[in-house]
Amino acid sequence: MTVPEPAAATTARSPAGSAVHLTRVTRLFDGLAAITQVSIDVGAGESVWLRGSNGSGKSTLLRVIATAISPTYGGGTVLGHDLVRGRAAIRARTELVGHNTRLYDDLTASENLHFVCDLLGVDPGGIAPALERVGLTEVATVRAGNFSQGMRQRLVLARCLVRAPRLLLLDEPYAGLDPDARVVVDDLLAEARGAGRTVLIASHEAPPARLVHRTVVMDGGRLIGEDP
Amino acid sequence: MIVRVARTVAAKDLRIEVRSRAALSAVLPFAATVLLALGFALGPDRLLLQQTAPGLLWLAALFASVELCHRSYLTESANGALEGLLLGPADKGAIYLGKATAAFLQLLALFAVTTGIVVVLFGLPMGPAPLLLALTAALGTAGLGAMGGLLGLLAVQGRTRQAALPVIVLPLVTPVVIAATRATVSLTQGQLDGVGGWLSLLAAFDLAFLAAGYLVFGHLLED
Repeated sequence: MTVPEPAAATTARSPAGSAVHLTRVTRLFDGLAAITQVSIDVGAGESVWLRGSNGSGKSTLLRVIATAISPTYGGGTVLGHDLVRGRAAIRARTELVGHNTRLYDDLTASENLHFVCDLLGVDPGGIAPALERVGLTEVATVRAGNFSQGMRQRLVLARCLVRAPRLLLLDEPYAGLDPDARVVVDDLLAEARGAGRTVLIASHEAPPARLVHRTVVMDGGRLIGEDP
Repeated sequence: MIVRVARTVAAKDLRIEVRSRAALSAVLPFAATVLLALGFALGPDRLLLQQTAPGLLWLAALFASVELCHRSYLTESANGALEGLLLGPADKGAIYLGKATAAFLQLLALFAVTTGIVVVLFGLPMGPAPLLLALTAALGTAGLGAMGGLLGLLAVQGRTRQAALPVIVLPLVTPVVIAATRATVSLTQGQLDGVGGWLSLLAAFDLAFLAAGYLVFGHLLED
């Protein structure tokens, strides 16, 4: 399939100091474009809301930035590393919270986090405080398979807290959460912003305006503009 | 770092198996049924049973390894945990070594149980060198685990998914099954000549599988 050459909307600013700098990135699945000619620049320490309806390409864009999938065309840098050649360095500093919880149902909440710490060489001392912050201390020894969807999402947020990545990619972070858990997400965003971390939130629900610097709009796999 | 990651992955896999018993509860009855069915098919001829037992034992281990490794990766794919392994900075080869180690230990446990069944049903003798027999079991199941730990990934990825697993695994591990069967036949019949050659062949295949798995696992895991 030939991908048309549109006059691509771009949010490109200066690459200097960019945490994410993509140029004309296209990703095809079975010949169909999920995102087309996307160019975006996100400054270090910036929080950006990717707004768009279902199927607009938000998740695919986040997965490209996280290096879960490679761009079919185009390229760029994330945290100063090339999107393809520097995958290992990007992955070491990036956390993607997507539709997959990546939890093991037969491990307890605490064991799931210990596994991540052991695997990544992260200090497990942050596990107990993280579980406390997301309100799962009481069920730390309960298997994740027995958790409700909201509790599983909280555990995923606890994993973010334990890892403390430089780049945080949140794909529909409010989905399936009760009001209390939504506060946890907002706390995570506020903390990330305070710590100077870069955050991209893909959601059709608006995060609190005080927590994002700007909003980028996607539709039909393209960046179509930017809200003030 | 390699040892830490491999140990972490293997411990996780074994802990999940101990709790869920998903693989062994499916694989052990399967292996036992295969042995029972073949035992009845061969009839009451004690000598024939003893002669065919090593082959049947390793055939059951082979089929069990395919199922066991498939189930191991189903656990990884259930909630997208495989993506977590991909997106972590941990050495992908070390992750493979952990998966292969866990598969090896589970297969070894399974092999011990099925050997007990074969000894009872088929009257298979342990021979004059039980330690060499144990070494054969370890090397044979290590080969099956090494290959299954790599190719089980194919069962949960790509278009072919589970259909690809037996098609690819069975031809590749055939030399392991043949060498392990020949060594087991010789040892149970008390003929130690030539056993060293079969065991060396098994060890060589194990190392080749492990090295290949270490090198290509990351590539298979990538998009």
